[in-house]
Amino acid sequence: MNSEETAIADQNRTLQFLLIFIIFSFIIIGIAADGAGRAFSGFLDLQFQPARLISDFMSTSGPGASLINAAAVGATGLILIALSRVQLSGSTFAAIFTMMGFALFGKTPMNIIPIIIGVYLSGKLVGKSFSEYILIALFGTALGPLVSLVSFELGFSGLSAIAVGTAAGIATGFLLPAIAVAMLHFHQGYNLYNLGLSCGFFALFAAALIRAGGHTFEGLLLWHTEGSAILTFMIPVLSIILILTGLLSGGKKSLKDLMAIQKHSGRLPSDFMDMESTEGALLNAGLIGLAGSLYIMLIGGDFNGPTIGGLLTVMGFGAFGTHLRNSWPVVLGVIAATLLFGKSLTAPGALLAAIFCTTLAPLAGAFGILTGLTAGFIHLVLVHQTGSWQGGMNLYNNGFAGGLTAALIVSVIAWYRSKDSDFKKTIRSRE
Amino acid sequence: MKRKELILHLIGEVSNYLLENSPNRLVISLHQEEDGLHLSVLDDNPHTDEEIEKIDHALNSRKRPELAGYYGAMTGHDMLGASRLNLLGWQVKHCDVSRTRNGIKIDIWLGGDRFESHQFTIPRKDQE
Repeated sequence: MNSEETAIADQNRTLQFLLIFIIFSFIIIGIAADGAGRAFSGFLDLQFQPARLISDFMSTSGPGASLINAAAVGATGLILIALSRVQLSGSTFAAIFTMMGFALFGKTPMNIIPIIIGVYLSGKLVGKSFSEYILIALFGTALGPLVSLVSFELGFSGLSAIAVGTAAGIATGFLLPAIAVAMLHFHQGYNLYNLGLSCGFFALFAAALIRAGGHTFEGLLLWHTEGSAILTFMIPVLSIILILTGLLSGGKKSLKDLMAIQKHSGRLPSDFMDMESTEGALLNAGLIGLAGSLYIMLIGGDFNGPTIGGLLTVMGFGAFGTHLRNSWPVVLGVIAATLLFGKSLTAPGALLAAIFCTTLAPLAGAFGILTGLTAGFIHLVLVHQTGSWQGGMNLYNNGFAGGLTAALIVSVIAWYRSKDSDFKKTIRSRE
Repeated sequence: MKRKELILHLIGEVSNYLLENSPNRLVISLHQEEDGLHLSVLDDNPHTDEEIEKIDHALNSRKRPELAGYYGAMTGHDMLGASRLNLLGWQVKHCDVSRTRNGIKIDIWLGGDRFESHQFTIPRKDQE
């Protein structure tokens, strides 16, 4: 084994240990919060509930059941990565954190597995190994609520409900790779949650089909407001663990790598663990978690399923595109738009937009502060509409709105850059 | 993806990189066989040792099937922003970057499992 292979194996081991530790911590915290009996029976109940946006599982089944559900979904992702023989790195770290985060308000093992099977079958059809589609399979679980909706909200019952929902999930997963690749070209990699845009695009058609069948999408807002020390300090403690892991294993070099990470635009795919180091990326993820928690504390927001899920997601992307320097302009744009339109910063939509708008961080990283502020402003306006367009079936609604925003901004910049250059003028003068 | 499209994207990404410094000459040479291909791109711009090392590192980065199979689709599609040779590095079999009299030559080999590299003059480890 040469030095590079040793480093890769070390990185894989460190991340594997860290993720398994986090998964077990969620189970222990879940049991501590609600007791083992209530937490596990709540977890089973969750599998058979509607999961559309915004269904805070902490509100319906309690924090204990939600945390155990998150651990189960995270473990599913980690096992799939191991089975496909992909080494853990920034992208897969982001995928596991995102899956666990959204398992607090929408994903369950029951509603994600059909989608993963669909992506696997899609790869088979075009001769791709599952390792090549693993990220689409993991992030594509954003459409888990579609499976739950078909199973439990359209009037089916018993085993037929499970069968129809599973079939819908497999069909959905089957189409996702084609859409995901096309959507990358649409925004040129400037929307970090590309599967958010892809799933939103697909959900537009699915929602239209379901509406055509006579179903009316009732708005859902299940939002846990009961604060507790466990929920408030979960993310700050996890952030400190990541920071300490980075500092203790990397020493001063991790600080240097952290500074180097801040110089990258973050455009997809930016694997900070490869581009700089695992330690620097963990430090970055930890700092983002602390900054996000501090923001929620300062405005007096709730620490519940969606907000903790949001923080986990942005922390995960701290290894795959997001850092403090490219994020703050976009967040500031969202805050400015929220205040300008007279909305409350602690309202669910505005609060989640302030966290998830970092999907547009690469725009600020590549084109500057003004572009980032503009992107954040537009994002807040759009994200309030996109949820109803897609019937709340795409959990990455901010990724959907972010993708549309990024495509708009990228188109304008590309158009502006096409203005007559001296070279073109020279050519034309000779015609 | 059809072979022609793949080759066009590879050429697009490497050319995009080398054209950023406006060379006076850019030469693209392609040699195809059934199981593989060899792409050679030359320019006549000066490049520092540090830059050559960065190019070599990006093109010979470790294989990342999870990124290549998904984000690799962006290779050669850049509408905005700098070219990204690592998108290419995840997908190819082997790459070499060497100095020529005026500029550099980037050699890229690509092929499946049956690819006979000796037919394409990939330097063997014991010859390097």
